[in-house]
Amino acid sequence: MARRSLLWIVSLAALIFAYMLVARAISRPDIVPPAEDIAGAFAALVGRGQQSPASDMPGMDMPAHHHHSSDQVDTLLQEGVTLQASLAVTTARVLFGLIVGLPLGMLMGLLMGWSRRADDYLHPIYVLVRSVPPLSLITYIMLWLGHSEAHRLIPIVYAVAVTAVIPTYHGVRDVAGKYVVAARSLGARGRLLLAKVVLPAAAPAMLGGLRYSVAIAWMTAVGAEMLMAENGMGNLLVGGGMWSSRLQMRSDPAVIIVGILVLAGAGWAMDLAARAWSARLTRWAR
Amino acid sequence: MMGAVRVRRAIVALVAVAVLYGIAAQIGRGRLPDRIWMGAHYVDNVKLLPTWQQLAEEGAYLVESEILLDSVVVSTRRVAIGLVLGSVAGILLGLLTGWASRIESLADPWVTFFRFAPALALLPLYVVWFGYGETSKVLLIATNVAVITLLGAHQGVRGVPRVYLDAAASLGAGRWLRFRKIVLPAAFPSIFGSVRIAVGLAWVTIVVAELIDARMPSLGYLLALSGTYPRVPTMLIALATVGALVLVFDLLALLLHARATRWMGRTA
Repeated sequence: MARRSLLWIVSLAALIFAYMLVARAISRPDIVPPAEDIAGAFAALVGRGQQSPASDMPGMDMPAHHHHSSDQVDTLLQEGVTLQASLAVTTARVLFGLIVGLPLGMLMGLLMGWSRRADDYLHPIYVLVRSVPPLSLITYIMLWLGHSEAHRLIPIVYAVAVTAVIPTYHGVRDVAGKYVVAARSLGARGRLLLAKVVLPAAAPAMLGGLRYSVAIAWMTAVGAEMLMAENGMGNLLVGGGMWSSRLQMRSDPAVIIVGILVLAGAGWAMDLAARAWSARLTRWAR
Repeated sequence: MMGAVRVRRAIVALVAVAVLYGIAAQIGRGRLPDRIWMGAHYVDNVKLLPTWQQLAEEGAYLVESEILLDSVVVSTRRVAIGLVLGSVAGILLGLLTGWASRIESLADPWVTFFRFAPALALLPLYVVWFGYGETSKVLLIATNVAVITLLGAHQGVRGVPRVYLDAAASLGAGRWLRFRKIVLPAAFPSIFGSVRIAVGLAWVTIVVAELIDARMPSLGYLLALSGTYPRVPTMLIALATVGALVLVFDLLALLLHARATRWMGRTA
């Protein structure tokens, strides 16, 4: 175990070192920013860095400063965007998607796994619904509900729900099936069967699917924010501004790398939480 | 016997959805608002729920003008290239990290990082590195596919029961033979399971990448364009086309899976 974590650290250090060497060798800070620039962008975005003077000539190429400053950082700071606020907004959206989407998907999976008849009717519809990428719905939702929070949240809910169906379905149909037969023959039925047999037996599979749902929720949230949002990590990644002008996305790689690192960290933390939580809930299985 | 019932029920369900949509569209015609505030201005004559007839007319136009076909070809090409590149790289790396435990510990932090970086977040970075256009899109798909197939191959190799390997070793099988005859076939289900997930993700990725950089004829472009004017029939047809393509790719992945695991003597 100790050897493993040592290798981990060595590998991570090697990765960072290799990156710094590559950045120096290429020496194009506008494409591969040196590590200082990334640290500088991070400091500026959490509000610790020295406020870089607002560029007096927007659109003109600024010569490289020794401290990190770029159009994207300036734009973001002028819009009052900070890293922690963006992360909080995105996390809130992800949590909303999970809280609303998971029960929906699990209910559908439960229904399809429980009743052969429901499965026969619902499965073809589910396959059609699942095939439509959630984010491609974003403009259609906007036409219906206007430019609001709804068209950012609905794709996340949709993506989470669709992902949660299958693990629940297999859990109920394949895993719980044999326990159900046994419990039925002992006379269990209805609520008792559902609460004491089906749900506990299907829980490991359902919670295994939870990790997929978390990952999908993060991806969809960031994508939705990149497409149409004035806040959140996706907005930070594409450098703020109105979403309609994002066709001319010209981003500062230092900001993007900071954003990706933070998102990876947040996704990892939430995955750890999901794993710990599901381990707790399925303690009986061990 | 059971199969016939299932098919009949599937047809009933799908026809019911289609009929319900038709009824909703007929009721909605004239009742739903057709003047919509688009953030900066009003647009008129928006059909929020186009009837089947309007959809058919629009579909016929899109097919005749070859817009739809061009878009499908462009998007499918990107997805196909990205899938092939990404899954070859991902599966090879996954087999390597699964089989050689020393490499695993070294690669672990990198894999963890890529695994939790939301796939789409790489898009702006790739645009900076490789410019707009084919390269950044194909590479974005390839990266996402590679991460998923890497994990699938890795877990597949790791899941091979130790007993199989020991048994083969005690019968005198060398390292390469064990890999080829035991590890690889045993890892197949896991690998192709991950390919199937990757196929779905590849389509999600390309649609968003094309929406953000909407220029060449492509399905994302069609969606973006129909969103700008709002032209709902076009939008719904583009959505349905993407859905159909995802379905076709999923079926192909399923067939591949079934073929690769035929030796297991059960349907996948």
